[in-house]
Amino acid sequence: MKKLIAGAILLGASSMAFAQPGCGVGAMIWKGQSGIAPHVLAATTNGTFGNQTFGMTTGTLGCQTNEAVQSMAMYMDSNIDKVARDMSRGSGENLDTLAVLLGVEQGDRETFRKVLQDNFATIFPSADTTSGEAIDAIVGVLEQHEALSKYVAA
Amino acid sequence: MGQTLRLGLAVFWLALSANLYATDLDVPEDLYQDPDWLTLGHYQPGPLGRGYTSQADDDRFFLSPDGKHSPKAELEATLRAIQTPGDGDLHARCRFPARDAWLRERLGLPRSPVTCPAYDAWKRTLNTETVTLVFAASYLNSPSSMFGHTFLRLDPPQQDEQTNLLLASTISYAADAQAHDSELLFAYKGIFGGYPGITTVQPYYEKIRLYSDIEHRDLWEYTLNLTGPEVERLLAHAWEIQDKRFDYYFFDENCAYRLLALIDVARPGTRLLDEVGTHAIPSDTVRWVVDKGLVSRVYYRPSAATSVAYQIDQLPAPQQQLAAAIANGYVAPDAPEVRALPEPEQAAVLDATYDYVRYQSEAEGWPRGYAAPLSHRLLMARSRIHGAVPKDTPPTPPVRDDQGHDTFRLSLGTGQQDHREFLNLTLRPAYHDVLDPPAGYRPGAQLQFLRLDARVYTDNDELQLERLTAVEIRSLSPRDAFFSPLSWQVGFGARRTDTGQDRVLTPYLEGGAGGSWRLGGATQAFALATADLEIDDDLSRGYDAAPGADLGLLHQSDRLSLLAGVRTKAWLVSDQHRRDQLYLQGGWHLGRRFSLFAEFSRDHHFDRYQSLWHAGLHAYF
Repeated sequence: MKKLIAGAILLGASSMAFAQPGCGVGAMIWKGQSGIAPHVLAATTNGTFGNQTFGMTTGTLGCQTNEAVQSMAMYMDSNIDKVARDMSRGSGENLDTLAVLLGVEQGDRETFRKVLQDNFATIFPSADTTSGEAIDAIVGVLEQHEALSKYVAA
Repeated sequence: MGQTLRLGLAVFWLALSANLYATDLDVPEDLYQDPDWLTLGHYQPGPLGRGYTSQADDDRFFLSPDGKHSPKAELEATLRAIQTPGDGDLHARCRFPARDAWLRERLGLPRSPVTCPAYDAWKRTLNTETVTLVFAASYLNSPSSMFGHTFLRLDPPQQDEQTNLLLASTISYAADAQAHDSELLFAYKGIFGGYPGITTVQPYYEKIRLYSDIEHRDLWEYTLNLTGPEVERLLAHAWEIQDKRFDYYFFDENCAYRLLALIDVARPGTRLLDEVGTHAIPSDTVRWVVDKGLVSRVYYRPSAATSVAYQIDQLPAPQQQLAAAIANGYVAPDAPEVRALPEPEQAAVLDATYDYVRYQSEAEGWPRGYAAPLSHRLLMARSRIHGAVPKDTPPTPPVRDDQGHDTFRLSLGTGQQDHREFLNLTLRPAYHDVLDPPAGYRPGAQLQFLRLDARVYTDNDELQLERLTAVEIRSLSPRDAFFSPLSWQVGFGARRTDTGQDRVLTPYLEGGAGGSWRLGGATQAFALATADLEIDDDLSRGYDAAPGADLGLLHQSDRLSLLAGVRTKAWLVSDQHRRDQLYLQGGWHLGRRFSLFAEFSRDHHFDRYQSLWHAGLHAYF
């Protein structure tokens, strides 16, 4: 149930992102680690240097405040590289996590994975794709699909 | 007027009755000394067993002004506060749900319902059914991470096997360092105190990103067998300490320590904190949790680095060369030589290459301008291959980190130094050296803390401190066509040095860097350039420095570890002689509790030769 709600809200936000240009673009894929090199001594003493991984999330959060969507946007922001990798392979836990967030039922998971793999080039058209663009494209692809459109339908 | 009076009377009566209620209760005189209460308040007995002090360093954690030092005053204040009518986020019952539940159960107070919007919402979001202790192992080529790190994962009810665990929340406790503090300051404050420790809640995928992808640490997930009510207690107490300040100390009051306290609260009588002596090394704390029978299941999650090394290893040699050629830009991901391969093999090459390019970008800083377009082409090519399931993931290591030898080592031996016989005693509180049983530890990694070597020379019964190693870190990581880690070492302390006339105890600082190459399964050859500095009155000019070199072979297996080589140091300032040494050291492992050791070295220094031999037994506790 929770997943369905999460999926529904995700859709809401994505449609909103279509409707409201300038909501933000999210993290760019393969943007590199930009200064998050491991601190040797920090690792030793098990400290945390502020929010080194948290809070890198960006503009996709700009146009809505719902928690479930934030976690989806944050998920893509932090894991866009891994989602892209799993999507190109048509399997993997990061792809499955997207399915969980969208509330895709077990029976549709196989189709979900295949459709996204087939549409990899649409979802990640360039090496500069952002998570916001990828989310919009995923919603677009699923909307076109007979069995999967219900997961992104209003 | 009359109404106000009546209202006033009512309030008065209410206050009085609450008060009466509290005093009427049959509270055992020594309830505040109940171990459960002391655990809930993080109280520790004072020195010499007098009084108590809470480890919490935050006024908001106490309801009594004397709470920090008086579990009794805190208990009375808590008892009064939870019986005060009302509810809402600021009520004591909502701020301290674990204390509330414990006192009510213990004293037979009615568990009247209470509304705590913030706490209830927090619990709903966490949606926890079981709790998993996650251990981040040490990472490749960084022995300083050897202590490991632990945090708790709160697992939702399982509907999708492993998958939605990425979205599960984690609770961790860490030093909240200032981002602008240097590493040295961090180390100093981390060890001697100075940073506040804070409890944070983050999604598991953020943790995976940090430990598995950025720091290259394998994760071990130990699912705890806590029951529903125990999980409830753990969450209630996590809520109580969340955002409260507990000063962080590297050796004992560290990440692992606070988690042990949470487990102690969850299952009263577990007494994990009693296991903590002078220090709580995270990997040791995992052992305690396993030994107390708290673990129902263990799952291994290899890091990105482990996975990529394994994937490359699985490729046949020609395909390894192809992967290297693609990664370095000599061959396009969709070039004919790639397409000529059967689809599953194409997929394996592309997968390994992509993961390698990502690893190099993270670890070696490959520029985005090169790595991103290449990554994109790799995935585009890969997305055209259907039905090729990615290669197996790395197998779970047969010996977990918590199953390796214990970290405290006591050694007894006998030997001869330049024809003088001696008995030797070594105490090493932590952690591992390359000649210890290697199972459960990273090959080629060494980390020793506060090691003390003392000798009694039998000819004149003279007791001598031979060496005090404050810190010694060594990392020998083999290089190959794909990975080129630096091998390095650093150490300081005090040791005996030969002045030509005498062996004097001298403070020293040493370091080295170089490379290592694998010769066979468990054998590597290394070459390091070294530098040594000694400072002491007994040296003719007060100090000495030596550039040098160390060439050797290291073999590590479950039965036998061997280290042999030659080293030379050119002492430039006081001594003005070169010291050449041939050394041979070995350990014969009898299980993980004991190891027989022997070493031999022959030195040429001050135009004379000297020999040392030394043999004995290591015991691990």
